[in-house]
Amino acid sequence: MNDTFLISIVTFTYFFAAFAFLISIIFHKKSVDKWALIITVAGLMLQTTAIIMRWVHSYKLGIGHAPLSNFYESLVFFSWSIIFVYLIIRKRYQNSLVGILSAFFAFLILAYASLSGNVNCTIQPLIPALQSNWLISHVISSFLAYACFAIAFGTSILYLFKIKAKVNIVNLLPDATFLDEVTYKMISIGFVLLTLGIITGAAWADRAWGRYWGWDPKETWSLITWFIYGAFLHARLARGWKGIKMSLVSIIGFIAVIFTYLGVNYILSGLHSYL
Amino acid sequence: MTDMIKKLNKLFSSVRLTIFLFFSLAVTSILGTIIQQGLPIERYKALYSPGVFSVLKFFNIFDMYHSWWFTTLLVLLSINIIICTSRQIPRITKLIFPAKKEIDDTVFGSSQIRKTFQSQKKLSDLEQQSEILVKALVGNPVKVKTTGTCYYFFAEKGKYSRLGMIFVHISILLILAGGLIGNILGFNGQMNIVEGNRSGTVILFGGEGTEKLGFDVRCDDFSVEFYETGMPKEYKTDLTIIDGEKKAASATIRVNHPFFYKGLKFCQATYGIAGVSDFRVIAKDNRTGDETVLKLNMMKKVPLPGSNSSFAIARFVTDHGGNGPAVLGVLIEPGKAHDIFWILKNDRTVSQQQKGGFTFMLKDLSRLYYTGIQVSKDPGVPLVWAGFSLIMIGFMLSLFFAHKRIWLRISGSQDKYEISIAASFSKNRETFEEKLEELTGNLQ
Repeated sequence: MNDTFLISIVTFTYFFAAFAFLISIIFHKKSVDKWALIITVAGLMLQTTAIIMRWVHSYKLGIGHAPLSNFYESLVFFSWSIIFVYLIIRKRYQNSLVGILSAFFAFLILAYASLSGNVNCTIQPLIPALQSNWLISHVISSFLAYACFAIAFGTSILYLFKIKAKVNIVNLLPDATFLDEVTYKMISIGFVLLTLGIITGAAWADRAWGRYWGWDPKETWSLITWFIYGAFLHARLARGWKGIKMSLVSIIGFIAVIFTYLGVNYILSGLHSYL
Repeated sequence: MTDMIKKLNKLFSSVRLTIFLFFSLAVTSILGTIIQQGLPIERYKALYSPGVFSVLKFFNIFDMYHSWWFTTLLVLLSINIIICTSRQIPRITKLIFPAKKEIDDTVFGSSQIRKTFQSQKKLSDLEQQSEILVKALVGNPVKVKTTGTCYYFFAEKGKYSRLGMIFVHISILLILAGGLIGNILGFNGQMNIVEGNRSGTVILFGGEGTEKLGFDVRCDDFSVEFYETGMPKEYKTDLTIIDGEKKAASATIRVNHPFFYKGLKFCQATYGIAGVSDFRVIAKDNRTGDETVLKLNMMKKVPLPGSNSSFAIARFVTDHGGNGPAVLGVLIEPGKAHDIFWILKNDRTVSQQQKGGFTFMLKDLSRLYYTGIQVSKDPGVPLVWAGFSLIMIGFMLSLFFAHKRIWLRISGSQDKYEISIAASFSKNRETFEEKLEELTGNLQ
């Protein structure tokens, strides 16, 4: 059994978890929420096993490195991060809806990683620039930040839906203030992690490329993302913005995240072209 | 005049300006990721019509992150941060080092969170339970008994978390200052040195000319290892610094492992093939089956053993029609015209050439490499690192700690005590209020 097969099982596990969370919301069943949680935790444990297996396997191939170094591995870690962040914040934001969002996002990302033809899932050796101790801290902090922003994106969309949509379904959604609060908290934690991701990236670039900052498209886009979420936090903390305006900024911020992650590699060219 | 200053002060102390600047920086930064930066100016001239070109040139779009207007935005942001932060400092100082130590009764009327109720419990019970409450909500209280039956309890925790935001904003200024210093006093460029050669000149990036180091860097050796896939695994340069015609230092640099000398950083950046130093060609005598390894240099003929012929290499290419390295061999037989043929290293069909009773195979070649060393000087780096550390300390302070304060007063007389509680909490006020409600139940 190899890690990519395990990952396809994890993909379906997260799908079932999202489904179970959905049932728990529709039928107001707390007990189903418990089951959904158990499925989610099982998925995360399985996924962690798969990541470790891949790590070990790379050493057996003689090209040992942490599985955080190509597009496939980054997608797997992105979905892992979302579930990880969800489990941490679950205690405070106990609502099946945050569960649906997290499990569904994690499912979508893994489904793309497994099924899309663009994603090469073989273990590749590391080019010299990637052989650095900064790799792990840089990738982990960046993707945990992305995960926080992804959850904030989900709650922002639902906030707009709750406020604007004139259908009965919105009654199933939690309070608008709850959604607003989750968005804000996720963005403030994500912002700190993004800052850490940029700093570790700068420290690494200083050793690998001789400068800590070079306005490479990936660097620039991470800074654009930082500016947008920075504006969000200032607007919220100092100007008291709330509600629709904040949701829109959060959505724009997440578009910048996606562009930092994918757009730079597919549309623009630069030093980061391997990922 | 003072009116003008007042207006400016108002503008620069507004967070609206911050938000505006953040969005402006975000939007304009996109441009530089679409239009490639720092190419030779001729490339842009060819890309755009003269009209568009002159507009782009005026706004320095080809190096926009160092343009006058982008710098202006950053300067405005710095002024904004300086004014806003310096305005916060007195307030924060007051919170951290309050002038008055004794308890001030006004807090019971002015605090964000406050609660007053009566109790008929015994004073000793009240005292004990108040202490428990304060301890549960904030921490060990300071107990003060004043005139009469007035008791005060006060507890405070995490006041230094107030410094977090100040640190974060100062760190941004440090990082910007470090960047500025690096831009003015630093440089960044590359030197390509062929194995065995030395150089003291750096070619600066962005077509900004050259920089004399004042000493020489010699490339003693360069080596590269490959994975089976043909991807480079590791490359490194052994270099020696020759300063004043003396060996001053030597080091091996690899990607991610730079070397520092006199405030300059030497990073392994690229490499390339400058030529070939020698070749090894196998000549197999077809009659006897004997194999001889010929060690050859370019254009030097060597005799072929067991015959009157000799062999030489006339040309070398790193890539022959996409099939990898190849040499142009010359077979010299007495009384015959020279036979000239390609020998490819990797291609099966032409890797074994049957000529003049011999089979020739290209066994090996020692390439002569040049190493690409990126040389940079940036005196701003320490400031930037200081900024990076301070920003994380600042974030940790404000993320993991909260400033909590609570005041509790027991007044009145037997059988009818009045308990007043005031509190202030810099974070999670709702959770705190819920907890307070729950705990005050015991006192009532």
